[in-house]
Amino acid sequence: MITEQPPPIRKILVDAPPTVAPGIAPPAGGHAATSGAAHHRRGEAGPERMTLQGLSVFYGENEAVKQVSLSIRLGEVLALIGPSGCGKTTLLRTLNRLTELTAGAQRGGTILLDGTDVDALEVTALRRRVAMVFQQPNPFPMSIFDNVAYALREQSRKRPGRSVLAPLVEDALRRAGLWDEVKDKLDAPALRLSGGQQQRLCIARAIATRPEVLLMDEPCSALDPRSTAVIEQLIGELRSDLAIVIVTHNMQQARRVGDKVAFMYLGDLVEYGPAEQIFDAPQAQRTRDYVRGVFG
Amino acid sequence: MLHRLRQPWSDRRAELTLGALACAVLLVIVLMVVFVANEAWPTFQHNGLRWLFPGGNVDTQINTMVNAGAKPPAADYHLRAWPLVWGTILTTGLAVVFGLIFALLASIFIVEFAPDRLRAIIVPVVRLLAAVPSVIYGLLGILVLVPFVGNHIISAHDKKSVEFIVQLSGASLLVAVVILTVMIVPIMIAICVDALYAVPRGWKEGAVALGVNRWRAMWTVSIRAARPAIIAAAVLACARALGEAIMLSMVSGSVGFAPNPFDGPRLFLLEPLRPLASTIVEDSESLQAPAVRSTVYAFALLLLFSSLLLSLAGYLAKQPMKKYGVRS
Repeated sequence: MITEQPPPIRKILVDAPPTVAPGIAPPAGGHAATSGAAHHRRGEAGPERMTLQGLSVFYGENEAVKQVSLSIRLGEVLALIGPSGCGKTTLLRTLNRLTELTAGAQRGGTILLDGTDVDALEVTALRRRVAMVFQQPNPFPMSIFDNVAYALREQSRKRPGRSVLAPLVEDALRRAGLWDEVKDKLDAPALRLSGGQQQRLCIARAIATRPEVLLMDEPCSALDPRSTAVIEQLIGELRSDLAIVIVTHNMQQARRVGDKVAFMYLGDLVEYGPAEQIFDAPQAQRTRDYVRGVFG
Repeated sequence: MLHRLRQPWSDRRAELTLGALACAVLLVIVLMVVFVANEAWPTFQHNGLRWLFPGGNVDTQINTMVNAGAKPPAADYHLRAWPLVWGTILTTGLAVVFGLIFALLASIFIVEFAPDRLRAIIVPVVRLLAAVPSVIYGLLGILVLVPFVGNHIISAHDKKSVEFIVQLSGASLLVAVVILTVMIVPIMIAICVDALYAVPRGWKEGAVALGVNRWRAMWTVSIRAARPAIIAAAVLACARALGEAIMLSMVSGSVGFAPNPFDGPRLFLLEPLRPLASTIVEDSESLQAPAVRSTVYAFALLLLFSSLLLSLAGYLAKQPMKKYGVRS
């Protein structure tokens, strides 16, 4: 069974042949993700995927993120918590250089992805390796199939046909736990799905090309409790293949899904450690006050 | 007991008044079509559908009608309007195709790539251009472009080669299409820019975050989502081009001639023409002659039907796009 070994790490080369290759198709009859949660034990850290060294982000004069150093490991969920406006979303968007789209934003410090400075990478290549799920579900106005196939199509030189894409789309939808709900209506408009389904579709779209890191920006804040629970479970299953960084201002959620938790306040990284430590034995006074609900 | 809920009079009176106004507009349109069709009837009665075909010199045919007097013999109704129809199709079609390409690229640049300062200047200027009266474009065309084409582009050899068919003066399909494109492009850019701005930011960001570059994100997501508005822009521009009379009458050479693509692209573009709308304006002085009157109304009917068909085509083209939740 494939679940006995960690999944292979796929290196994406900038000038590699089309990403849609039969080699990355999963074995028939099941996938590691279904038993990923059981496979994973808390505290077991995989290799380091991303390293942040003295990361600062300025919007004009305003320093939104101040000298943050962190590491993001494979097989681990890092939850960023903190009150609104504390810089957690900015920090997240800096990891795939999405802050560059904001006029007037400047960054200091270094971000390494597998030891390579992200500034040295082609930005599109970086974003293929570091995928992102947004706060508001944002499926494109296309069919469900086309949404999941979007990145697969865009990332290959030759337009792959539907028969090539179909197994990859199915695999992504299965890993996102959406396959059973949509397998009969792959050509239906994605925008007709419910909010929770849309968000899982966005997760499927993001993981279809097998990124190494998945960034999630408050993925459940626009969803009802039941959809939230489904997505939290999904995060637990996905972490065996991926490094996941999730921003949330819901502390219970951070506790449920996070292996490591980083507490940010006004741009500072106040405390970073295993989830149990942050919630049960916080070291800093501000962390203690925040997790107890004194402010927030 | 259930009883029907009625809206209060203060609401219903607004509903009734506005409803009556809307019905009145509809009625006016229907009456107009009926009236124009009725007036145009004699020319169709004499020519049948051959009215639309090529055959003979359309300017000579119209002159015969003008001189026929109050009781024209049936033979004087003879008309083959193809050169005018072809002129309308050519000017409108080419201008809309070029305009659409230009407007799309310009609006992508404005929305996605232009620096803020440039955008702050360019958008108001484009809107201003959209409001320039067409006769000004016509004046620039006849004073600047037509002499330029006549003196520098048309050679003596060109003139000689078609000497016995048509006279090349500079007023041509080329100038007509160039000026018509310049005239309709601003409104198309304005509509496309608004449509692209209305595309939710999340879609574009989502695409960019999947590792596609901004151009591809724009092309595969934003333009796709804005297609209904782009179609609306094309339909509007088409309607404006169809109805453009004065400017085209000034720069097209105003000759009832059908530019022939088999003359080679160069001569084709340099040949003069006259579209339907310009013909209506130029022949409106001779409306006392019944044959001219009927013919001019027939031109009007054709233009009316074209714009109706255009709206219908635009509507039908938008339908499949609505399926995936693209707003219109």
